[in-house]
Amino acid sequence: MPDQSGLLPKRFILLLLFLLPLLNLQAQKLDILLKGGHLIDSKNSMDGPMDVGIRDGKIAEVAKNISEKGAEKVINVSGLYVTPGLLDMHVHVFMGNEPGAYIANGTTSVMPDGYTFRAGVTTVVDAGSSGWRNFPLFKEQTIDKAKTRVLALLNIVGTGMRSRFEEQDVSDMNPVMTALSIKKLYPDILVGIKAAHYWGDFTQVDLAVEAGKLAGVPVMVDFGEHDPPNSIEALFMEHLRPGDIFTHTYSHGPTQRETIVDEDGKLKPFILKAQQRGIVFDLGHGGGAFTWRQAVPATQQGFKADVVSTDLHTQSMNAGMKDLSNVLSKFMALGVSLPDAISRATWAPAQVIGRQDLGHLSVGAEADVAVFNLRDGDFGFLDVRRMKIKGKSKLQTELTIRAGKVVWDLNGLAAMDFEK
Amino acid sequence: MVLNTAIKNIIRILLLVTSFVAQAQEIDLLIKNGHVFDAKNNLDTVLDISIKDGKILEVAPNITLENAKKVVDAAGLYVCPGLIDIHTHVFVGTKANKFADGNNSLSPDDFSFKAGITTVVDAGTSGWRNFPLFKTQVIDQSKTRILAFLNIAASGMTGDSAQQDLSEMDAEKTAEIIQKYADIIVGVKIGHFDGDSWAPFDRALEAGSKTNRPLFVECHLPRYTLKDQLDRMRPGDIITHSFENISERTPVVDKEENVLPYVFEAKEKGILFDVGHGGAGFWFNQAIPAMEQGLWPNSFGTDLHRFSMNAGMKDMLNVMSKYLSMGMPLKDVLLRGSWNPAQAIKREDLGHLSVGAEADIVLLSLKHGKFGFVDARNNRITGDQKLEAELTIRAGKVVWDLNGLSAKTYEKQ
Repeated sequence: MPDQSGLLPKRFILLLLFLLPLLNLQAQKLDILLKGGHLIDSKNSMDGPMDVGIRDGKIAEVAKNISEKGAEKVINVSGLYVTPGLLDMHVHVFMGNEPGAYIANGTTSVMPDGYTFRAGVTTVVDAGSSGWRNFPLFKEQTIDKAKTRVLALLNIVGTGMRSRFEEQDVSDMNPVMTALSIKKLYPDILVGIKAAHYWGDFTQVDLAVEAGKLAGVPVMVDFGEHDPPNSIEALFMEHLRPGDIFTHTYSHGPTQRETIVDEDGKLKPFILKAQQRGIVFDLGHGGGAFTWRQAVPATQQGFKADVVSTDLHTQSMNAGMKDLSNVLSKFMALGVSLPDAISRATWAPAQVIGRQDLGHLSVGAEADVAVFNLRDGDFGFLDVRRMKIKGKSKLQTELTIRAGKVVWDLNGLAAMDFEK
Repeated sequence: MVLNTAIKNIIRILLLVTSFVAQAQEIDLLIKNGHVFDAKNNLDTVLDISIKDGKILEVAPNITLENAKKVVDAAGLYVCPGLIDIHTHVFVGTKANKFADGNNSLSPDDFSFKAGITTVVDAGTSGWRNFPLFKTQVIDQSKTRILAFLNIAASGMTGDSAQQDLSEMDAEKTAEIIQKYADIIVGVKIGHFDGDSWAPFDRALEAGSKTNRPLFVECHLPRYTLKDQLDRMRPGDIITHSFENISERTPVVDKEENVLPYVFEAKEKGILFDVGHGGAGFWFNQAIPAMEQGLWPNSFGTDLHRFSMNAGMKDMLNVMSKYLSMGMPLKDVLLRGSWNPAQAIKREDLGHLSVGAEADIVLLSLKHGKFGFVDARNNRITGDQKLEAELTIRAGKVVWDLNGLSAKTYEKQ
């Protein structure tokens, strides 16, 4: 007995030493607690009530009924949907004033931060506005200055989308330099390759795929401007690899780009086969690439674009596209469920671009979060032919958090009440 | 008697002929059944508006559909003159962290139409040296009508020592550029000067007097007292950031929550108070007591730039809705959204829906619900109404259509 009295304090101290770090963890307060929301996170199979705690810019805790006591700021999000920050896989944000330039360092591109956070977007992927020659300027001018996380597909053309004519220059489509830029210089930003606006045969696509193999990244193809059009079946089955991306899925301009739905409203049989093969279909709305006459029959016949994206630029920003929350609402007006639509703008594109660190709210992930209100009412959704369909619900972005910081707060959810 | 009847008949025939001519004129766009609010023309009732060749053709009840190429049903919506934002920074360029030719400024079309704005006034981002660049780079490229206050600092808001360079602040050259671009430049701006000398202020006034244009005073003039500024300003001159509460300026409401007597005197004299919301320029602890005591803003300049776009400001409709929530009646809010600012910049061709005016129009819906509005300190008030732009028309063209009001319904083949 006497020697036990000597041991007890020692044991007690040891126990304390073990427990202290745990206590410390408990005492570390959450910076932000999103309380009472409905969480949609397809990677983690979440679709129900769940609180989300954020600390040091990361997701610290996802659980039911997290205590408010342990949080610096509690934001009541009851009645709202909490999702991973949206990932817009198709935008043009290499904004600049170079005379004669249109998308690369030109005024057809827009500045990202004015369009992202208010639509719940925290990551954008610039779709080939720059090539290996002008990517450094794009990075310095836009990417390094933006609060939005800006990733990019590198155009197979060295000068990117400087002019429609320059985009035809096969001698400036260099797979080796393109792949080296991606692998050696900017592997954290460059997530793929873009082939677009080419007037000729499959040469551009094949060079892009060659670069894609060298760099180990996917290729996105905008197959828009061939007259007469090239076969998209050949594109999907012979030229692209599984994991490569076909954009402007629901475009209707059959004299320039073969459509996925024929003129009798039938989904072409090889489309579902291509999707099964692993070809990724990107919505890429834009100013001219989303029509109800393609999207409605395709959806009814069991086909949906894998990724919902905007193709944001000055010709789409004020037209039928508007922003990603509008395009998602439009996708829902086709009969797609909210969790399904959200997944196609979060976890689905994150996987497509090989950035599995994004598009979900797993503990430890960077805290990029969006909070939406699903408004009820009578809404209209326009396509690029100025045709509308009606919908009863529309997503509105209440709150956007980027790396743990509130970057958009529509109704002051995170604000204090004004007291006179 | 016979003569009288003959004259009457001639008048009848003339009336018939004119109405026939008006009937036969094809209408490009007809806006039916909207509640027209046009302060200049004292209209506050349900009327139709027809548009032809980019201009207002007719404002009347029950305009016939027959001659209209396109009809928009505006039932339940307010039809107003396109909004005018007299405080923006849109000299966008690639210079990092600069307003003049830099990325602190924003592209106007990205923000205007979706907020019902058809005209923005750039608040002195450029001066006499770089206005021509601003014009070719932004003004000529934009669909939004862009007007400007010209900074008395030669290169506008450079954010560096050039902004303080007295030797470059030239009333003559400023007036010369204003006269050269008389249809774009609507006034002179003074702001962001750190020195004691009143020379910049006086030269700006001089350029304004020479060109018969107002002075736009943007505060951030830490060595000038508010009283001295207001004393020097002329009737019709504009002071912005009216409800800012930061150390480098005297707030208009004192610690006892009373509007300073000399601020009321300035208002009496004809000084115009612009909101100039911005990132730091709007505080409820100034704006609410000021409104309660009768110091209402004359206009809702947003001070749009990179640091206000995603903060409490957001867009001009949000700022207007904030004032609705503070108790300003809707018609007073709408007056301050278009006709008031048009008069303030002496552009009375704008801000109304008179026949013959350029067809800059917005269709607004007044949403009901629970809304919150925040100020520069991240304080919130709540309200139950919020304005939303359904349709924006610039020079007769639809440039924003939130829910496809002007579109056809898709029918399955």
